[in-house]
Amino acid sequence: MIELSNTTKRYGSLTAVDNVSFSVKTGEYFALLGPNGAGKTTIVKMLLDFTKPTAGSLSVNGLPSTQSESRTAVGYLAENCHIPPYLSGWQYLQRCAELLNMNKSDAMRQCSRVIELIGMQGREHTKVSTYSKGMIQRFGLGAALIGNPKLLILDEPTAGLDPIGIREIRQLLESLKDQGMTIFLNSHLLSEVEKICDNAAIINNGRLLVKDAISALVKDSDTLEDVFVRLVKG
Amino acid sequence: MPQTIPPIIRIAKYTLTDEIRQKSFIVMFVICALFIFLVRGCYQGNFMVNGQTLDAETVIRVVSKLTFHVIAVGAMLLTALLSMRVFRRDRDEGMQSSILSKPIARWQYVAGKILGLWALSVSFMFVLHSIVFIIASINLEILLPEYLLASLLCSFNLLFVVVAVLLLSLLMSDVFAFLCVLGIGIVGVVADGIYALSHSPMAQAMIGQAGSQSDWTGWKAVYYLWPKLSGTERFASLLIGGEGLGPMYPLINVLFYVLILGALLFWRFRNEDII
Repeated sequence: MIELSNTTKRYGSLTAVDNVSFSVKTGEYFALLGPNGAGKTTIVKMLLDFTKPTAGSLSVNGLPSTQSESRTAVGYLAENCHIPPYLSGWQYLQRCAELLNMNKSDAMRQCSRVIELIGMQGREHTKVSTYSKGMIQRFGLGAALIGNPKLLILDEPTAGLDPIGIREIRQLLESLKDQGMTIFLNSHLLSEVEKICDNAAIINNGRLLVKDAISALVKDSDTLEDVFVRLVKG
Repeated sequence: MPQTIPPIIRIAKYTLTDEIRQKSFIVMFVICALFIFLVRGCYQGNFMVNGQTLDAETVIRVVSKLTFHVIAVGAMLLTALLSMRVFRRDRDEGMQSSILSKPIARWQYVAGKILGLWALSVSFMFVLHSIVFIIASINLEILLPEYLLASLLCSFNLLFVVVAVLLLSLLMSDVFAFLCVLGIGIVGVVADGIYALSHSPMAQAMIGQAGSQSDWTGWKAVYYLWPKLSGTERFASLLIGGEGLGPMYPLINVLFYVLILGALLFWRFRNEDII
């Protein structure tokens, strides 16, 4: 479903992603881990063609990421999600549905379904400017779920959420995985990743350190956090 | 199967509605409409020069032509102000990444933005021109359809402003993009003025005496090659004066620049990093 092959991204003299190759299979719950500035968000941006790789290639849904068709049935939640403050949550979701070429009745149906999924019933018609960061994050996730995507790319989906919110989002993502959705997750919350992900890759300074099943990475009495710290600190 | 609207039209619609929502847009529109209504007094007065009453129709045509130019220039300024912030606002409010994470190509996004801004600014100018058209028609008791036709011809100037400001806003700060396009307009007016002056009998005599033909050659080149925004406006206003169509060159010049700058805008945005 996702394939990176010898992908490099340079910003001037800075190498953000350095010759990274890995793949994510259909139905996989995959986590991309790394410290701040490791190159995780750059990889996500290249997958969505928000930025072009300096070398190598990326493909999504079997198509080069530079083709807009590769983003068919892909849902995306940005890190620090923003929504126009003058819209209501409902209007934002409706726009996202309409941009997927849905007619009005389908868009309304999708919005109602998603609002229920993200637990925002009753708040969908108030202006985004009155929402908390966590609520904006939920609506951002809702927008990613519009149109029943086959692949979800989530950049820090639980940022700004309280512990109850984090738990609810985790349960929601688990149920989506059970429905066969492929999930590509960028996260700092290693304990959450350990609980729900099948596979993980750890990158540091743009280089891929390891990519394996969580069960293979975490052995004996170790936690994912121990493994992560050991690999990143060398 | 229910019909769906192509993404370009959707993006254009969202651009248009988002701009109309801005308080600054509403304030500017109300101020302009008030200005037009204040001008209506000029249509009703009896003007006397050297004790002779001027022909009402001539006065109305002159005032209408003057108002036509004021509105056209005002619409260009407003268009530049609206266009300069569009990409930045979309980026800051997350709409750019939201739209481009869907199976929508970058050219479709840019085309939607251009279309939305153009439709809004043309509507803005057309509504104001229509108010003048109605006032003039009531006072003259005849319709001046050429007034509205002239307004539509000026819409190509607005398209130029939209494309130029969007392109420049990708290369420099929003305010500089606005100022650059303002500068393009001012240099065009100056070049037109100097060209007209150089063709006056007095200037011709001076050129003949001083033999300084080459001094004018530079301005002549600017006159022909610079974006002819004021030329297009004058070309359109000839219709109002009942003078028929003038040379088409200014219109062709502006359309040529729209094509060139449009191509550059699409190419530049294709390589732009989305934040």
